[in-house]
Amino acid sequence: MADNISREDILTELFNVGVGQAASTLSDIIDKRIGLTIPNVRILDAAKGKIELNKYLQNVAEGAVMVSSISFNSQLEGKVSLLFPADKMHHFIDLCLHETRDEFEDSLEFTDIDFDTIKEIGNIVINSIIGELSNAVNIPVEYTLPDIDVLNDANAEHFVDCEDYRLVLMMFLAFDIEGTEIGGAIVINMTLNSLDDILNKIDKLYNGR
Amino acid sequence: MTKVLIVDDSKFSQKITYSLLNQYLENIEFLFANDGQEGLEKFSEVHPDFMIVDLLMPKLRGQDLIEKAKQIDREANVIVLSADVQNRVRDVVEKMGVLSFINKPLDEKKAKEICDIIGTGSRGR
Repeated sequence: MADNISREDILTELFNVGVGQAASTLSDIIDKRIGLTIPNVRILDAAKGKIELNKYLQNVAEGAVMVSSISFNSQLEGKVSLLFPADKMHHFIDLCLHETRDEFEDSLEFTDIDFDTIKEIGNIVINSIIGELSNAVNIPVEYTLPDIDVLNDANAEHFVDCEDYRLVLMMFLAFDIEGTEIGGAIVINMTLNSLDDILNKIDKLYNGR
Repeated sequence: MTKVLIVDDSKFSQKITYSLLNQYLENIEFLFANDGQEGLEKFSEVHPDFMIVDLLMPKLRGQDLIEKAKQIDREANVIVLSADVQNRVRDVVEKMGVLSFINKPLDEKKAKEICDIIGTGSRGR
């Protein structure tokens, strides 16, 4: 079996394909070029994952996030959450709907249309990332319906479940849309068995073992 | 007039699909359903010429809707518009006899592809 660094590199590359696809998809939706930093995938145990995630929540999102999440089951089992700072979301939603308003709101009040829009965007982005990974390692996933929520005092406990899940895959992304930087995070809370399955497939497919 | 039923639980997606298709098609009546079950009811009631179906939906999944619609009308014209990029899902759904499987988000090029299918089907009617 390859060492952890090598497998992590391959996993990062596989996720980057999906993230690149997701950025391209978002760019299509809002019809504007999106700059995107290439994220590093970090595989952490639940305790370390919570510490890192709490740093993001406090420093970037100041505790208020809009969360779009989808669970997946079948052979791979876990939950993906796409987190965005809530105060940037009105601008982002306007871009998605091709609407403009005189002043950008930074309130945390959202309409049903706002939620519906972000839910569908989250659905498309998460499908890009998890679906491309699924294709690459040839392991199918089945999704549950997406959820959307705004959390005012979010902390890592919302996203990392220590009871059922043991590992956290975390990616921090910075989207630049026309000078507006939106620092997002993708948190994948996955069972150990699922990650083992993925890494074993990576070994077989990419390391010939 | 050709009837096109759009079945999608996202109003955002419904709006994009309608706006893009409506640019290129004439004499089309668009109908909408907000989940798979409502889609099946409208399909049974209206018998649309084409049905555009999302897969991940509440109450009745798109795959189940397609299966039931085909039981009602074996020749039902179904186009799938889904965010699911998994090859296996595409393979399974394509074997159900759909006209096309297109990944979201819909853009001008993909919309034209759907319009070509609907346009060709409409002219042959």
